[in-house]
This record gives sequence, structure tokens and C-alpha cells, in this order.
Amino acid sequence: MPKLRHIAIAAEDPEAMAEFYKKAFDFKEVGRPNGYLADGVFLSDGTLNMAILKFKTDQLGKGMDYRGLHHFGVLVEDVAEFEQKLQTLGAEHYIDQGQDGHQAGYFEKKFYGPEGVLFDIAEHGWAGAEPLPAPMKDAAE
Amino acid sequence: MAKLRHLAIAAKDPDAMADFYMKAFDFKLVRTSDGPLAYGHHISDGTIDLAILRFKTDQIGKGMDYTGLHHFGILVENLDEAEKVALAFGGKHYMDQENPDRTGGFEVKLYGPEGVLFDVAEHPWTGSEALPAAVKEAAD
Repeated sequence: MPKLRHIAIAAEDPEAMAEFYKKAFDFKEVGRPNGYLADGVFLSDGTLNMAILKFKTDQLGKGMDYRGLHHFGVLVEDVAEFEQKLQTLGAEHYIDQGQDGHQAGYFEKKFYGPEGVLFDIAEHGWAGAEPLPAPMKDAAE
Repeated sequence: MAKLRHLAIAAKDPDAMADFYMKAFDFKLVRTSDGPLAYGHHISDGTIDLAILRFKTDQIGKGMDYTGLHHFGILVENLDEAEKVALAFGGKHYMDQENPDRTGGFEVKLYGPEGVLFDVAEHPWTGSEALPAAVKEAAD
């Protein structure tokens, strides 16, 4: 089954916000992304990647001043298969990693789901995120 | 270590939105709730509780029309201790759950830096994975 492995927060001061979650909950810093779409701090609780980012574009249509939870990411086995499925279900494709000549980060494809909620899908895990569980058969062998 | 185990989305139509994520990613419906704060569905990937809710109050100051990601929840070993630490580092207490018998939902809501709302709980959200230590103890 696909797994939720990434949440992103839009922050004015990613450094200060990351510091809070590191101190309060012992989340570990696992990266400092600085790309075309955003820069900030990647934290991890050992299972999920929590990205605290200052965005450089208005991906949500809520304005550049928007602060708060921004999007989430789902780790899947096969991005192409899920892209097809999502489009069949009515999701709107937004952007691919590397589209327009930039390497945007750890997402592979971004979609808008119902009510314009933005989410990523990826088949390579986000920094500090747990991989997909091995299928039961593989694990038993 | 504390674990992110809950993510809530504010939706106008929680039924349709939950249906989308169940069909798209095979997430399972674990609970439908209609309480004083929100109506909606809790779906799970086996680790995280994804709550898709129509809120009845404006908890995040973005207005009742706001739709999108709303708050997250962190599962901790000791709620009182975690709350104290979060407050010491500048978190602000927002509310405690009113029903003391309820388990498997939010226990304390706090605002972190820049007003980001999050829950802290020591009982796992419905359909979410327990803390690793609790899993180990259960297996022993």
C-alpha cells in the first residue's frame, strides 16, 4: 500500500520553525533543500519527512503570504502507474520534477486532488523517510 | 522519539475527498466522526491517520471557507511532559479535548511557530501505528 511519507509547511522563517520541532520533539535535521520552488529545512521523525519551507512560488493559489500546512507526499511503488490512476480519478497534474529545466527537490510529480489540495507522489523516498514495507512474500523469504 | 501520526485536511465535501484517497491509494476507512469540532472521515495507510474533515469552528484563523491542509498530530510517550517541553520552547496551548473518556483522537492542541496548529497525543489516532516501544512491548 502507498504510504504518507512527507508533509510540507510554508514558513516565513524555516530555520526558527525547524528549531522548535527539533527541540520540542527531537526530530532530526536531514537536509537543507534550496531549489527553484523553495528552500528550508528537512526534518525527520524516522518515518516521515517534515519539510519546513519558504516557498518561492504560489503553488496553492493562496498567495505568497500563506503560512501553514502546505502539501503532503505519498510514496508509491510505481509513479507512472499512479499518475494514470490519479488522472482517471480526476486529479489535476501540476508539475514534474525537473520540468522547465530545474531539479525541484524530492517530489517526482505534483497533483491537485479534490478541492485543490496539493500532493506529491514519488517512488524514491524523501530524505529521512522510511521506505515502503517489503511485500509480505519478500519479507518472509 | 515522538512520531507524526495524524494529518487533517479541511474539506467542504469530506465524503468525496475521502473516497478519492481511498480509491487512489487504497487507504482504508477506519472511522467516521461527527463531533463538536468537525464532521468527516478518518482513513489510514496503516501508519498515519488522515482525517478529512469539515470543521465547525475556525481553529486556524483562516476563515470557515478555508480548505486545504489544516493541522497535524504527534504521538508522544508522555503527554504532560511533551506539552511542557513544547510550551517551554514557545508553543501556545489552544485547547484540551473535552471528553476525558475519549481515546484515539486529539488530546491537546497547540500552536507552534507562525501559528501552525498541531495536536499532541499519547494514545494513537484510529488506524495509526503505535510508537515503536509500544509495538515492541506488545510483541514481547
